[in-house]
This record gives sequence, C-alpha cells and structure tokens, in this order.
Amino acid sequence: MTIAKYTLTVAVCVAGLSRAQMKNEEAYKKEYEQRAAFIASAYDTSSYSSYYAIAARYARNRDIRWADSLFVELLKEPRGDMFWMFPVIGAYLHGKDKMSEETRLAVRNSWKSYTPYRGDTENHWCMYYGSLFLAAEQWPGLPGSEWFNGKSSDENLIEAKEYLIEWMRITTTIGQGEFDSPDYLPEFVIPMVLLAEFAQDPEMKLRGRMMADYVLADFAVDHLEGQYIGGFSRIYQPAVYKPLLSQASAYAYLYFGTGNPTTSGWVLLPALSSYRLPHSIYRIALDRSKPYVHKERKRVRNIIRLGTVKNPPVYKYTYMTQDYGLSSLHGGILQPIQQHTWSVRFTRGEPYTTVFGLHPYWSALELIMFFPEEERMMIADVVASKGTYNNPDKWTGSSPFERTFQYKNTLIVLYDIEPGTTTEHIDGFFPMTLDHRSVDPSGWIVCRAGNTYIGWYPLQEYEWIDEYEKPGQSLNTIGRPEMGMDAPVLGNWRLRSHKLQNGYVVEVRSKNEIGSFETFVNGLRKRIAKATLKPGAVSVDYRTLEGAHMKFSFPEGRALNGVNVDLTKTKLFDGPFLNAEVGSERLTITHGKQRRILDFKKLQISE
Amino acid sequence: MMKRHGILLLLMLGFSLTAPAQVSEPTVYASVFSTKLFVVGAANPQTGMFYHRPSEDTVWRHTGAKNIRANALAVFPGSDGRIRYTASGNGLHKTTDGGNNWKITTGWRITEIWAVSLDPVDPSAVYIGTAYGIYKSTDQGDTWKQVFTGFVSCIIVDRTNPSVLYAATELGVYKSTDRGETWQRTGLSIDRTRTVTQHPKDPQTLLVGTEKHGIYATSNGGRTWTKREAGIDHETFYTIAFDPSDPSIVYAGGYATGVYRSKDGGYSWRRTCVGFAVEHIHSIAVDPTDTRRVYAGTMGAGMYRSEDRGENWRFIGLPGAQVGRIVIEP
Repeated sequence: MTIAKYTLTVAVCVAGLSRAQMKNEEAYKKEYEQRAAFIASAYDTSSYSSYYAIAARYARNRDIRWADSLFVELLKEPRGDMFWMFPVIGAYLHGKDKMSEETRLAVRNSWKSYTPYRGDTENHWCMYYGSLFLAAEQWPGLPGSEWFNGKSSDENLIEAKEYLIEWMRITTTIGQGEFDSPDYLPEFVIPMVLLAEFAQDPEMKLRGRMMADYVLADFAVDHLEGQYIGGFSRIYQPAVYKPLLSQASAYAYLYFGTGNPTTSGWVLLPALSSYRLPHSIYRIALDRSKPYVHKERKRVRNIIRLGTVKNPPVYKYTYMTQDYGLSSLHGGILQPIQQHTWSVRFTRGEPYTTVFGLHPYWSALELIMFFPEEERMMIADVVASKGTYNNPDKWTGSSPFERTFQYKNTLIVLYDIEPGTTTEHIDGFFPMTLDHRSVDPSGWIVCRAGNTYIGWYPLQEYEWIDEYEKPGQSLNTIGRPEMGMDAPVLGNWRLRSHKLQNGYVVEVRSKNEIGSFETFVNGLRKRIAKATLKPGAVSVDYRTLEGAHMKFSFPEGRALNGVNVDLTKTKLFDGPFLNAEVGSERLTITHGKQRRILDFKKLQISE
Repeated sequence: MMKRHGILLLLMLGFSLTAPAQVSEPTVYASVFSTKLFVVGAANPQTGMFYHRPSEDTVWRHTGAKNIRANALAVFPGSDGRIRYTASGNGLHKTTDGGNNWKITTGWRITEIWAVSLDPVDPSAVYIGTAYGIYKSTDQGDTWKQVFTGFVSCIIVDRTNPSVLYAATELGVYKSTDRGETWQRTGLSIDRTRTVTQHPKDPQTLLVGTEKHGIYATSNGGRTWTKREAGIDHETFYTIAFDPSDPSIVYAGGYATGVYRSKDGGYSWRRTCVGFAVEHIHSIAVDPTDTRRVYAGTMGAGMYRSEDRGENWRFIGLPGAQVGRIVIEP
C-alpha cells in the first residue's frame, strides 16, 4: 500500500466512524471525491480477477496492459447474463481509448458470441437494456450476424431505448415495481449512471442522469445513517436484521457519507463515474432536524396469473426522525419471496438495528402469480437461489393474511390466517443489541435502543424463543455468504405467537419526542388496544400516546379520528422533500430553498 | 485448464464433436428450459435447442443461442429443419437456414414465451403463447400483434384447417376459428389447463391436460368435454401425445406421473415408470417413422426413450435437463 493510499484509507475510515454531519456543497464535493477515490483504490491495484479491477485500472490509467490481459482472459468464458453485461460495457467504456486492439476485438466478439439471458424481472431488464443500448452505440452499423441476438446495431439500439423509456415512464407514473430495495438498488443505479456518463444519444444521457437522481432521491428520503428505512419490495435475509449489510448502505457511504466505509464492487462503477449527486438530494438524505411523514405509491411486480390487475398499487408510509424510522407497506402479497412489510430501524445497536414482525408464509400459488414456471416445481426452483423461502423461521416474505395501518410513529399490524396455511404462526424480531427489553405488567413489551423507545403490544399470547444466528445459517443466497463457518454464534430474540387471528400495536418514540424512557412506558400503560379476534372478524380500536384514534379492521378498514383512510388517494411521493402526482412523470425535489424538478415529459431538469 | 473443463462439461452433457449421422433418420429436436435448478446470473449449463438422431444414443448437439431457457420449439413441416423456432425467455429465436444463423424476432414487449405453433401450410404464420397472452405474426416473426390476453401454456393449429386454433390457458381452453384473430372460450369448465392435443385422424377430438384436474376430452371441437377418470382425476398433465399410426394409443405425462399410456383413446390409462430417474414428465413425442419408439422429456433428468411403446424406458442424454418440448422431423 502506498503512503498516499494509506493516508486516504485512514482519512476515509475516520470520517466514516462518526455520525454524519451535513456538509456544505463545497465540503460535500471534496469528501465525495475522497470516498470515490477510496473505493476505486481498492480495485486499481487489486490482483483479483474481476471486471471491476479492469474498469478501475482503465478509469485511473494504471496498468493498462495488465487490464488488457485480464479482460481478454475473462472474456474467454463469459457468464453472468445481465450481471456480465454491465461490468463488461462499463470496463470497456472506461478503457476503449487505452486498450489494445486485441482487447477491443475480444470485447466486440463477446457481444457476438455470448448470449446473456434477458431475465424475467424489472432489474434484469434494466441492466440488460441499459448495457445493450450502450454497446449498440459503440458498434453502430453492424448487421445482425455480429450480435448475439441476430439483431443489427440499429435494431438493438431502438429496442433498448424503447424499453428504457417505457421503464422510466411507468416508474414516474405509477411507481417502480422492485421499489425501495436495499439489495437491488445498484441494479437500477448502475445502468443509469453508465447512461449518464457514456450515452452518445443526448436524450438517453439526460434520461440516465434524471433517473439516477430519481432513484437516489427515492432512497435519500427513506435514508437514516446508512440504512434504508422500509417497507421494501426485496431484501435478502442477512440485511433484514443487519441493515448496514445491504448494498444500499454502500451507496449511502458513497453518496451520503454515512454508514461504514466500504469497497463493495457494487458501488465501483458509480464511484468511477462522472455522475454527481445533486446537493439537494444529499441534504435530504442527511437532514433529520425535524421528524417528518413521507408517503409513497409504488406498484406490484407484474402479476401474470391469479389476478385481474397487472400492477396493483403499493402504499408505503414512513415516519422519520433523527433517531429512528418507522415504515410500512400496506400489506398483503406485494412482491414474492423477499418482501419486508414493516420495520422500525434505529441508529444505535449495530449490527442489529431493527425490530420487525411478519407472518412467514410461502406458497406455490404466491409464486405462480409472478413467475411463469410450473407450479408444482416452483418452490424447489425458488429455493435454489432464495434458500430460506420455505423455512418457517424465515425473516422475509409477504403474506396474504397480513395488513398494516400506520399513523406517524404508531403502527397496527393485523393477521387473519387461514388454518392449514404455511405457516400457522407470526414472528417478531428483537435484537440482542437493545439496551433494554422487558415485558411490562400491562402487556406491553418495552425496548430501548439508545434514544429510541419501542413499545410492542401483542394482541394474543406468545412465547420467546432464543434466536441464534448460527454459522452458515444466513447463507441465504448463492454467492453472498455473510459469515464464515467459524463465526461466533450470536443470540437475538424471536417472539412467536401461534394464534391465527392475531396482531400487535407498535409505538415508537425518541427521547426528543417524549423525554425519558419511564415517561414512555408510563404512557403505554394507559394505552391498551381493544381487539376483536375471530376468524373473518379481526379488528382493533386504539388511541395513540398523543390521543389519535385508530380503528383498523382486517383487511382494509382503516379509520383515523373517525375518518376513513383512503389509501387510493396516495400520491407517488408526498412529503416535505419529494412530491409527485400519480401519472405526472414529474418529481419535485425540495430542500429548504433548493428545488429541483425532474420533468420526464419535457425531458428537463429545472432548479 | 479452463478449456479442459469446458470439453469435459460438453462431454458430460452428451455433446458430440463428430459429424452428423446419416440424414435418412428422423431428427429429434428438444427445447431445454433448464438444467437442474437455474439461477439467473449463475454459471448455468447450456439451455436452448438440442437435436439428435436415434442412432446417436446419448449424443445431442446444441444449435442456436446457448443460454436462453427454451420452453418450446417448432419446426416447419417439410422444411428439412431449415425453418425452426425456439421459444424462450429471451424471445422467439428463428432460423431459416437450418441453424447457421439465428435471430430473435420479438422485442422487449414479448417475454417469457411458453408455446410456439406454426401454420402447417403457410410458413409466414406464426403463433406464440406467453405469460401475457397470444401473439400472431403473418410475416415469419418480423412483426407481431397481440390477439389474446392471459397466461398461455400451449397453442395448436388444426392440421386439417389452419383457420382453427386451440390454446390451453390459465383461463380455460380457448378456440379461434379465424386464424387467431379472435378467441372464444370452449365449453370446458376447468380454468387452469396446461396442454391440448389433437387426434391425428379426427380433428374434432382433442385431449386437454390440466393443473391438478387430470385429462379432459372433447369429440366436437371443444363444445362439450368429458373428464377421463380412471384414477388420474387429480393429476397435473403437461403433455399428451397420440400414436399417429394408431390413435387409440395415447401417452400422457406430468408432475409425478411417470408416463401414462392408454390403449383405448384415453378412456383408461396405465402408468409406466420403468427406467425413469424422475417421475416428472414435461414432453412426450412419438416417432412417426417408427411408432414403437417414444420419447419423454423429464423435468430435471434429461431425455428418455422407449422402443416398445412405453413399456420400458432408457436414458438417452441431456443429463439434468428440463425438456420443455420434443418435435420429431421425419
């Protein structure tokens, strides 16, 4: 390691250890460059055989012959489908003016001889077409015989552009399908920053920049100290209870300067990119000076069977403070396999900075709603890559028997589970890193994590189970081992209730909001929910700590202070920082006096 | 070292580096959807279209794109294999020169194609069934028009009247009498259907395989249907094939079924599993040049062949493959 690299590493790590303070634009830009350089520096001397090591060398003009040699070698056996396409075109675009003719030909030939699978979902298609568009621009005028799919350069360019524009249109009118995903954020950001930097078509260059802004703004408003707050469409199991493990945290580190320093490969291409996050979005990610409510509307992934609407709406509600974020999706099956319906995440107690609950449900019928494969083989197919799907102890997934109702920092979750369903219990996750966890005689489970206080009132009897994160247990997906087999066994707590008609009330407050923990607990003792828990008739009547009256009848009967809550009126974005109407193709980003409008109809950024 | 591994893998998959066998034999085409359990982005073995001749034992050759999850295929009758289609997750692949050049004929709007069927007379007419509906082309796939909305598993064109088509869908069996322009639900009350097959001599007789409801039959072009009981009421069937020389012999396969054989046109069935490594059968085809020879494509255990009308089966290659469809060109 050179002295300069050592100095950079120390500077970046020290900066990453303290709670992030909002920086002015000049300081932000300076520190951003340091973080980007830190990430790139992990690859521009790495001997690890990866397209990222090649891209970093080209971008930073180091060891070009070494990069050429490795590029040619790796392209002898291409694999990875769309996950191959974007690093290859990214590396090529960074190095095309520096690489040897042999290397250039090897890259060109790979787009002729290797057929990437196009995939079956939004993130696949975004990576596939984003990469294909850039490749088709690089090699114009070629006939179909020069491309893996038999289409000419022009045909590929037109098809890729059409898809990307349609994806942008649907995202900015009825919302993203694989929305707010801590683990799939890179799959959308990377193609967009590559377009923003390298597209020759000015329209697509601008669109790439605008969509990168859009997706990162969507993250920023739900961001707290490196964590994505949600309510998520997709998340892998380790990151659901260790929030900083997700790839979104790497993006928080690069773009917001929060979380832990990282050199994740998933953030390398953005770190090498000339794309820069607008300062207003950075400020939104950091400004937690006042608590706020933020609402969003997204869409369900394409339903291909057992449904009448292709993309029903998803309603997300977030309450954010400087100490915690409480957020929920309205419930039901909104995404297969990896949905995370609700959680509170907080800034103290790493790595387990969250409390959440779920009904760990699985079903071939759920899967065939979204996937075209044979129903009877579906679960085995899914478990091949999402190993916990049919595990009754899993911590991710949607359930048709779960619904939520959130108002500010109060959440009610109800379940009306059919007998015989997988599974006949609900679970809650309580981390070992809480400063306090006890059961009050009133029935409230009361917890404290630093300045965050959490109350959980179970509506039915339950038990506590030691929750061991066993070595190897969290090998949830191929290629992403979280810990080695010799890692220590750690203990958390699982709340489990076997009653089919069930639910709980969750109250979250911070020290700033309510004062002492004792005051919080005393307040809860006076707030006992009245519940009806019979099959087909599950409801709760509850007054929050501040006196708001919430009535919730499973599945969709929500009333606040006597007024029915109509979720269908939810806007695409609605809060102090982001605002967009359904169908508008226009996002207004506001922070203080800074305002940035992304208008996809006019193809215009205005400030 | 990597090259050696590559050759080893080819041999394990049963590929041949030798010249094709004699052309007088029929050619057996198979679409391979996946090999074992497929994970997007992982190092998966080859999928796509494979072909083979009976004398080649376990040897199969790959043709076209290698990584496309091929669900179905079609060969234009009498084209000697020159005009072929592979239906896949990447779109519909077409060759018109016997496999030297391939092109995806569909765009981004068409994905997850599960069925492809050709007009037996007019090579320009192509029909595909997808997770989102039926699309029709009248120019060999250069342009497409959506003509039906819904999940479609199988389409067939009436071999005696190309104006008539049938489709097995998640919404029941549908019929078109105007070359796919419009579709009407037939009288079958079951929604979730997986395959439809036409009797080789009586075009009004069809058999339908369903999801968990066994097999249904019609003898009047879909107006009325009767359930074939005989102990298969709750089975799931993905494939049904008539013996073209003796249509009283019918074969059917599905989830955990092995191969069922009927000798009375589908009224009674007998299960045969001798020789299979798995009991999940996704495709069956009878060799029209020698109807004692029957092929069965499994879900996850490759291809099997019987030389005695389904009594005994033998593994003939494509280890681990999920075989979506088999087509035999004489």
